[in-house]
Amino acid sequence: MSELDAGTREALAELLLTMADDEFVLGFWDSEWTGIAPILEEDVAMSSVSQDEIGHARALYELLAELTGGNADQIAFGRPAEGYRHAALMNHPRTDWAFTVARRFLYEHADAVRLESLAGSSYQGLADLVVKMRREETYHLLHFDLWLRRLAEGSDESHARLAAAIDRLWPDAQGVFAPLAGEAALVAAGVLPESLEALRARWVERVGPRLVAAGLPVPATPAGPDPDGRLRHTADFAWLHGEFTMVSRSEVGATW
Amino acid sequence: MGVKDRVWEVFRQEAEGDPMIHGGSVRAPDEELATHYAREFYGRRQESERLWIVPRDAITELDDPDLLKPPFDRSFKRPGGFLIKHKLEAARERAGSAQVDEAGE
Repeated sequence: MSELDAGTREALAELLLTMADDEFVLGFWDSEWTGIAPILEEDVAMSSVSQDEIGHARALYELLAELTGGNADQIAFGRPAEGYRHAALMNHPRTDWAFTVARRFLYEHADAVRLESLAGSSYQGLADLVVKMRREETYHLLHFDLWLRRLAEGSDESHARLAAAIDRLWPDAQGVFAPLAGEAALVAAGVLPESLEALRARWVERVGPRLVAAGLPVPATPAGPDPDGRLRHTADFAWLHGEFTMVSRSEVGATW
Repeated sequence: MGVKDRVWEVFRQEAEGDPMIHGGSVRAPDEELATHYAREFYGRRQESERLWIVPRDAITELDDPDLLKPPFDRSFKRPGGFLIKHKLEAARERAGSAQVDEAGE
């Protein structure tokens, strides 16, 4: 759809950037489990799903670069920390295994709701990419649904840690659906088939019963996500940014 | 976990119709997680059409040499023991021609 007007293109660029940054930052946090996951098999599995997210981020950055004329590597690694637009959910460090599982559970379902809707996007490049991403995300959903149940039904300690993590992350998880500046234009053009607020409601309906089934309390849902959630950054994220840009910063402009 | 982990043997099929071939094993506490790990270890690179995930303790093993490797020469039980090459050559000679088909070893 090359006939998008300038305002809609700008809003689309913002949508792609937020999605890519969600996947990119989460992929980096969870790649920290490589070598230290609870069992060797899970070590491989967690490393693999983290790589999947970074792969999805790459595809989204490339789509963005096509739209704006930039370069995917430059977008991924060339921005200052304040330039990232990930949801506040991704501002937290890896923490413990229960925290990681809680975040992945909340995020995977949010991402699934977002991707289901975008499969019908009028922006064909995005709709095509989303179809491919969803096939890999099927496994992510299964895997973190399973871990949520395992920890919820495991020991008193695993249950308590998981419940505390869900409670702590719940407000920031809403922020995956924080409104975008040009959202109305995106919805009008069919690029975003539904409002992010409608998607948030669907996500709450989907994760709530799963928490209940696992015997976990469902935290009270706030009226809406923090509208500036994607602009907020933490010291933890600043540290991670320093880590993942370390090599690219060591020789700016180099051809690797 | 740990003590409750079981070993699961994983069999792979590379293409539809191929035989299932033992790929290796994974350690997991239950069938569901074993399935996830089998997928990660033996299927995430699109190298498998199908996986079978079998708990090792469900496998009945037979490795008794008295049953599998008896000490007498039993090579006559192998179909490969019946070579017809020499019979075919004799038949050719009797027929006095080399026109008998070359095939049939």
